[in-house]
Order: sequence, then structure tokens, then C-alpha cells
Amino acid sequence: MRFGRISKAVGVAAAAALALSACAGNSGGSTPSSAAAAAKSGGSATVVEVNAFNTFNPNTADGNTDINSKVSYATHSGFFYIDNKLNVVRNEKFGKMEKVSDNPLTVKYTINDGVKWSDGTPVSAADLVLQWAAFSGYYNDADAEGKKGTTYFSYAGDPTGLALTDFPELGDDNRSITLKYSKPFADWEIALGGPGIDIPAHVLAKKAGLADAKAFVDMIKGMPRGDAKSPKPANKQLKAMADMWNTGFDTKTLPADPSLFLSNGPYVVKAMNQDQSLTMVKNKDYNWGPEAKLDEITVRYIGEAPAQVQALKNGEADIIAPQASADTVEQLKALESQGVTVEVGNQLSYDHIDLNYSGPFADKNVREAFMKTVPRKDIVDKIVKKLDENAKPLDSQLFVPDQAKYADSVKDNGSSAYQDVDIEGAKKLLNGATPSVRIMYNKDNPNRVDAFSLIRESAGKAGFKVVDGGLGKSDWGKALGDGSYDATIFGWINSGVGVSGVPQIFKSGNDSNFNKFSDPEADKLMEELIVTTDKAKQDDLIQQIDKKIWASAYGLPLFQAVGVDAYSDRITGVKYMPNQTGVWWNFWEWAQK
Amino acid sequence: MVTYIVRRLLTAALILLGASFLVYLLTAASGDPLEEYRAINAANKQQLMDARTELLQLDVPPPLRYFKWLGGAAQCLVPFAGTCDLGKNIVGQPVTDALGHALVQTLTLVTGATVLAILIGITLGIITALRQYSALDYGVTFMAFLFFSLPIFWVAVLLKEFGAIGFNNFLRNPEIPLATAIGIGLVLGAVIAVAVGGELKRRVLAGGVVFLFVAAILIYFSATEWFKTPGLGPVLIAIAGVGLAFAVTLLTAGLKNRKALQSSLIAVGVGVVLYFVVQPLLDQATFLMIVLLGVATVLVGLGIGYLVGGYDRGQSMRAAAITSFLVGFMVLLDRFMQAWPSYFNNSRVRGRPIATIGASTPNIEGDFWVLGLDTFTHLILPTLALILISLASYTRFTRASMLEIMNMDYIRTARAKGLTERTVVMRHAFRNALIPIATIVAFDIGGLIGGAVITESVFSVRGMGFLFLDGISHVDPNPVMGVFLCVAITAMVFNLIADLAYSALDPRVRVKA
Repeated sequence: MRFGRISKAVGVAAAAALALSACAGNSGGSTPSSAAAAAKSGGSATVVEVNAFNTFNPNTADGNTDINSKVSYATHSGFFYIDNKLNVVRNEKFGKMEKVSDNPLTVKYTINDGVKWSDGTPVSAADLVLQWAAFSGYYNDADAEGKKGTTYFSYAGDPTGLALTDFPELGDDNRSITLKYSKPFADWEIALGGPGIDIPAHVLAKKAGLADAKAFVDMIKGMPRGDAKSPKPANKQLKAMADMWNTGFDTKTLPADPSLFLSNGPYVVKAMNQDQSLTMVKNKDYNWGPEAKLDEITVRYIGEAPAQVQALKNGEADIIAPQASADTVEQLKALESQGVTVEVGNQLSYDHIDLNYSGPFADKNVREAFMKTVPRKDIVDKIVKKLDENAKPLDSQLFVPDQAKYADSVKDNGSSAYQDVDIEGAKKLLNGATPSVRIMYNKDNPNRVDAFSLIRESAGKAGFKVVDGGLGKSDWGKALGDGSYDATIFGWINSGVGVSGVPQIFKSGNDSNFNKFSDPEADKLMEELIVTTDKAKQDDLIQQIDKKIWASAYGLPLFQAVGVDAYSDRITGVKYMPNQTGVWWNFWEWAQK
Repeated sequence: MVTYIVRRLLTAALILLGASFLVYLLTAASGDPLEEYRAINAANKQQLMDARTELLQLDVPPPLRYFKWLGGAAQCLVPFAGTCDLGKNIVGQPVTDALGHALVQTLTLVTGATVLAILIGITLGIITALRQYSALDYGVTFMAFLFFSLPIFWVAVLLKEFGAIGFNNFLRNPEIPLATAIGIGLVLGAVIAVAVGGELKRRVLAGGVVFLFVAAILIYFSATEWFKTPGLGPVLIAIAGVGLAFAVTLLTAGLKNRKALQSSLIAVGVGVVLYFVVQPLLDQATFLMIVLLGVATVLVGLGIGYLVGGYDRGQSMRAAAITSFLVGFMVLLDRFMQAWPSYFNNSRVRGRPIATIGASTPNIEGDFWVLGLDTFTHLILPTLALILISLASYTRFTRASMLEIMNMDYIRTARAKGLTERTVVMRHAFRNALIPIATIVAFDIGGLIGGAVITESVFSVRGMGFLFLDGISHVDPNPVMGVFLCVAITAMVFNLIADLAYSALDPRVRVKA
């Protein structure tokens, strides 16, 4: 029978195969283990960020997102960095930044010998000149409508300080520049040269068709300051360099040309996976600053907070800093049993209620009465306590608790009068009047809605008729300062370091002075503040301004936003930081256990 | 026919124009693109606002801006000119680039899930239709609706918690306690007992066998730490192969066709022998090689069927080809399992293989097998989540369509003329039941690209959904329009294909020009 024979043949073949398998044991191919390939001396860590990296130049208007700045911070060094007490810390190993003279304010930047880019080129004065040219907007001559003239570098930062300087003087074998300010500038310390010198002039010069960095310096040395009133035809080479600066470093994948991602800091970018991850390894030449411990840092992008928490739990991430919410903090606290450390702290943004110096609030007594009714403790209890048990109302308009001067300022700025709700006191001040006030806020932000409800309820008890002036997400911002409301609840971000932001909000007639606060003495103090170059004196002045603001019944700061970070038990050295640098501020101290 | 297609395409183009205009205006009106700058105290606030205004052309009113955008988009119609301009997103990346990347991400995520959901859904639908009103039918219906009504973000979070974090913890020390093994065995045994149908005795027998089998396997796995060093090995492949050979023959030709059974069994034998031959080859595997080997297995199967022949050569060839393909698949699976320990101990993976986010482990290095496993461990959870929630529609549609067909007169005729139940179900009913399913599948493929927005964000895959949401949140119409174009065009094309396919499959339906 044919079938039988074939069956037997199959059977024999299969039996033979099984016998073979018995002899061969596990004859399957062995996959070479790549574990051995990765060196493990310093270990590695995976950090999670919300946004995806997209440019090696974090200074442009389109590129200045958190993640770009953080990667730049880890791969570049400069004359200073900012620590988590919001102090400016000098890095003398990189170079010296010294105030040579107070009048006129003159600052000399000297880069140490041996500091170099990862292609071997020394970091030179030309790199500083490039940063100066970009940050100062010195050569821009575009008029307000942008129709005539040229804007060269599209810089996201504030150019006002460096705009006071003239073309710097180069010296010390091309390793130093000296900047002379036409009038003193308070924030000179953070105006230039840090935390990272991130764009190499020699690369930019080459890409623009110039011979080298020296040719670039020679070229712009002769160019006059741009004048918007008499725009000149654009300088082609500078324009080419500026265009390169503006968009040439934008990329989501690792460029084939290594000169586009040169490092002069502790790390250098090694790999990029578009919209997924970015990997940095130690820059082996680096010895001009705090020495990094980890061999490798990988950044992964995860948008959602719960996904970040689960990634940490699953060991895919070591350090996370998700958007803080009550749920997130709770989920993270639950991970403490598996060795995760959770740090909760204040952020620099804070909510506040501002009273207009017009309408029903034109009368100081009414403002004061209203402030007496604001239940700041209840607001903190309701909104922030569930995230941070130690949260307290913010008691200064200008300082945050992380700054050393906060405690001092709070003692005598007058905030003590508004610690608790004082309905009786408010009634007395109102003297029987029942003013109707309209409060504007972003009604799509649940925190603001909660704050508004609590304030309305409490103010109502004292006789205020509070009108709900809440506007949607896309409208409230436009309504700021347009006089359609009497009080508004929204958020400012304290700059943490530097004082230039103060007059923006509080000086008479300034753009962001939405409630039209005006105090001649405070104005004078602020004028003095922005030309004061000494930190201690600045703090004294701010303290006085703070007092003036409270004394005029401006409104009340409510609470600071809460930030959270968490890291697994593999990692040590992570420390909470209130500003936007976040946990990255001391990345060199991160180590693997 | 041609006029019909041309007419459909023209309407589609008009709809696309109208809809894109509407979507553009709605996006532009959805918020304040300058919101983030309204309440900052920087001195250069105005300058930042101006920069954003220039980037997004906010000084041009939205309707005019739409036509500017349309002008750029129209250039995409010129083939090979490379002038396609869909604008830039808020970080200055051309939308065409962003779309290209996002499309790949999304397709990797959803393709497998959709194919599997269709296969499993149709199978379950047919089985439940054949066992209408049985416990199995009610069970499947209940589960299908349960999963259908679960929100995907919640399913995803649960899957991550148990499927990834829990399973990885288990892998650290893969011991299954005896009680757990018996428990799992009992549950599966009960499920099988319910599903089998028939007399009580048969049910108890089937359930008991499954219980014993599952419990024994789990105890064996636990004792040998199988989860750390998994593998099938030639013995298991041979045993499973024989089982498959019978099953495949049963479905394709019927066990009465001895020639077909014979060819399937020979295919299994050849497969087991080849298992040893291909191992060294597989060590240098590439994707292309695997595809070629896959084709080769089918060809070998066809060859075996042809040689064994018989009066119905086609049936033998089909049975042998399917069997050998499945055996080939098991060999592949075995090879992946061999690579498991080296993946598991990879310094990047650190013994926690199942991932909760992304599409791959950053910086992982390894051969084809390790990288393949990496993709698998990253895709398994989102795929599972997508399958669970999309299973319901396929099962229900197939079940309904199958039930309708089974009550047709021609089915009764087929039975009356003495055809076997297999022939009636597989050849007369099943094929006709697929006709309405074909249109649904086409629709679903059309909606595939835009349909996984939430899944993408939960699993942190930056695909089309992310692009869309990001555009909306920044009030930036360009990426939104890019996604809209892709989704709308695929939806329309597949609608057209669905209509054409229907008329091609069902001779009673004819398109009228």
C-alpha cells in the first residue's frame, strides 16, 4: 500500500530528525550577547522629558523649548550655571568672568586655555562674539513693521542688556572679550557666556563661506550698529550665518555632519531616534567644570504623566519630572515602597489676584477690604495641599521662598495683615458700601475656577457683589489690561535669577502692568534697581519695592505651582530645582548605584 | 465602470476641498495661538509674539491663509516635482517631514493589530454563528461587548500594569506556585468545557484533558524556568505539526481525503528535518531572508502536494502549503525563543522585557532576532489593546452575516444533495458571508491611520494622533491639515475600493455608470 510506505518514510525521517536533535542538544544558533559590548564603569540613566528634541540651537524663537535647552545645557559649558537655590555659580575652570569697572560697567570674559570643542578647535573669543552678536541684536536694522531692513539672528531672549554694549574688545591671544555697557545693567552676570556657549563660530563661518572664525570676527568688527531708521542692504555673509544660526541646527535625527552638534561640555550627543529618544555619552576631553559621573544619559520623550509614572515603575525610565497633579503625586508616592524617591517642591510660577487701580477699586480702602476677604489659606488647602502637604500661601510679590531673601522680605512687607480672612475688618473699611466687582480669570483652568469660587464666597460675606467674569482659554489672555474687569486671577513666572522682569510688571505704564499700578517712589526704586550691579543691593531694593507694592494694596499673591520629580533606586544625586532647567541643573552629580 | 470611478473621484475631490476649508477654519478659530505669551513679563514679549505671528502668518485672516496653504498643498499633486509644501509646524519642521515619520509610527502600531483583529474576529464570528445560542456564543458576545465598551486608555493602563510591570516582575523569578498552575488549568478547562458543546460527557472529558494538559505544562514551565529560556525544540514542533496537519486538512480538504492528509504530514516531516538544516542559516537572518524562506516553505508545500497528487491535486497542494507555512512559522518562533535569553539579559533591557512606551529600546544593539524581539515586546501591549476593543464589531458582523447565509435556501439545497457539513460551511456559507465583511474591512483600513489617537498617546508613540493633538493644542492648523489630508484621502480611497470590491465579489451588485 502506497500510503503506508510514504507514511513510514515520513515517520523514519521524523524519527531521524528527533534523534539528530537529541545528539545536537541545543543546536540552535547562539545570539551574540551585546551586553558585554557596553562598558559599565559609570553606568547610565534614562531621563524622561515631555517634549521631543528638535534643534541644537535652543536660543531661537522657534527652538527655545525646555528640552532643547536641557540637552544644550548638558553638552555645553560656560562661565556660570544656576543652582537650585537660584544662585549664579561661577565655573572658574571654564574661564573667568569679571567686572573690571563699575563706571562704565565693563565685564571681561576670559576662556581658559585648553577649553575646546569636541572637534579639537579651542573655544575662543570668536564664539563669544558670535553669541554677543546674536543675543544683542546689534546689527538688526528692521523697522517695526518688518518691511524694511534686516533682522539677522532670531533670538528668543531679551536683548535689552547687551543692546547697551558696543562691539567687544578681543584680547589674550583670542581667548577673551571685554564688554563695555553704556549704562549699568543689573543682570550683566547672566547676560552672556552661560550656562552654555552653544554655537561654534568656526563652524558657522565655514558654512557661510568664510575662511574661519577670525574672518567672521574681522567682518563684523567693521559693521556699524544697525539702525532701524536708516536700514541698509543686508550683509550677505552675516545673513548667511544668521540663517544658519536660526534654522541650520534644527534636526530630529542625528546630522551626518558632526560639526552641527559639537560639544564643549560634559556630554556629547551620540544618537537620536526621531520623536523617541536622544542619547548622550561622556565627552572624553572635558575637564573644565564639574565632572560628570554617568557614562551615558538617555532622554526619552513621554507626553502623558501616567505613562511616565508607569515607565518609571517598569524600569524603562530612571528619572521623571511629570506635570504635577494630585493623581500623579499619589501614584508616585505609591512607588516609594519599591525604592522610588519622590521630591515635591515649588515652581517659579505663581497664581495671584490683581486689583485694578480704577473702577470700584480706585479707592484704596475698597482694595484693602477686598484683600482682607481673600481666603488665601483655604485656596492653598483646596488647590495645592493635596499635592504638597507643606504648601503655604506665597507672601511676597517679588521673591519666592527658594530665594534667601524671601524670609526677610516677608517679615516687614505688610503681608502679615492678610494671613487670615478678616470679614469684620473688611466691613469696617467698606463702611456699608456694597461695591460690585467683576473678576476675570481663565475658566478652563480648574485651579483658577476654584480660587475664584472661594474668593467670591468670602468676599460676598463682607458685602462685595462679585460678578463672574471668567473667560475661555483662548480669550482671557487677550482681555488682560483691557479694563473690562476689576480684578483678575492669573499666573506670573518669577524669573528666579535676574531683576529685569520686575519693572515689566510693576513700573508705571509698562506693557505687562495690566492693573495700572503706579507709585512714583516704587518707579524710582525700580529705575535704580535695573542699573544696580551688586546682588546684595539689588535684594535690598527689591525688598523695598515689595513693601511699596503691598502698602498700596496691589492685590495678593496666592500660591506657587507645585513641581514634582521622582527617580528610581538605581540612581543617586538627583535634586529638585524650581526653575525650568528642572532636575537637569546638577546632571553631573547623577550616578548609578 | 470608468465613468463611475471618475465621477466618484470628482465628488471626492470636491468633498476634500470643502472639508479641508472647514477644518482649517475650525482649527484656526479653536484658540489663541499667542496664549503662552500673553502673561509673560519678558521685555521682548512683543518680539516673541511677532515671531510667532510671522511663523503662523497670523496677520493673514484664516480664510485667506487657507488659500495660501492650498496653494502649497496643490503642488503635492505634481508628481515627482518635490515641491510639495504643507507648511511648517510650530517648531519650524516642514509638515511633510513630520507626516512621513508619523505615518510610519502609526502604521507600525496599527497594522498588526488590525490584521489580527480581523482574523480573530471573523473566526470567532463564524464559530459563534455555527453554535448560535450556545454558552460559547453568549460568552463570546459578552466578552466582545465588554471590551467594546471599555475605554481604551483604561484598558491600556491595566495592560501596562499587569501585562508589562506585573509580568516583568514575574520574570525576575518565574516560578508558578502549584495552586496557581492548577487554578489557571481549572479556568481554562472550564472555558473549554463550555466552548466544546455537545453532550455533558464530552464536555467534561474535553475540559478535563485541557485542565490536565495546562496544569502540567505550567508546572513543567515553572520547574524548568521555561520563561527564562523558552523554546519549542524539534519534538514539540513535530507534535504540534502533526496536530496542525490534521486540523488544516480537516478544514481545507476533509480527513477523508487521505492524499491531502498524507501531503500535510509529509510537509511536517520535511519541516522537522529542515529545522536542523536552516539553523546555521537563520543565525545570519535578515528580514528579506525570512520573507524568502516564508515563500520557500509555501513552495515546498505546494511541491509536496503536487507530488503526492491524488484525484484532487489542488486540495493536497493547498493543505500541504498551509501546513508547511505553519510549521515554518513555528521554526521561526523557536528561533526567536532561542534569542530570548540574550535579549532578556541585554544591558539595555535589564531583565524587564515587556515595555510600556515607545516603539523600541533606545540604543539597543543586536542581531535580527534581538531587534525583532525588541519590536515585539514594544508592540504587544498596544496591539492587544487595539485588538480587544475592535474585536466586537468584526465578531458581531461576521456572526450576523453568517447566520443569515446559513438560513438561505441554497445552503439547504447543498445539505440536501448530501454535501458534508465542512463543504457546506467552508465553501458555500463562509465565502458568501465574507462579502459584507469585505466592505467593513475596507472602511476600517480607511480609518486606520487616524483611529488610534488615544492609544498613541497612552503608549507614547508620536504618530498621526500626536501630530494632530499637538497641532490643535498650539492652534497650529498646518499639522492638523496634514493629518486631515492623509486620513481623508485614505478614507475616501478605501470607500471607493469597498464599493468596487462589493460589486466584484457579489455578481448581483453592479455599479451603474
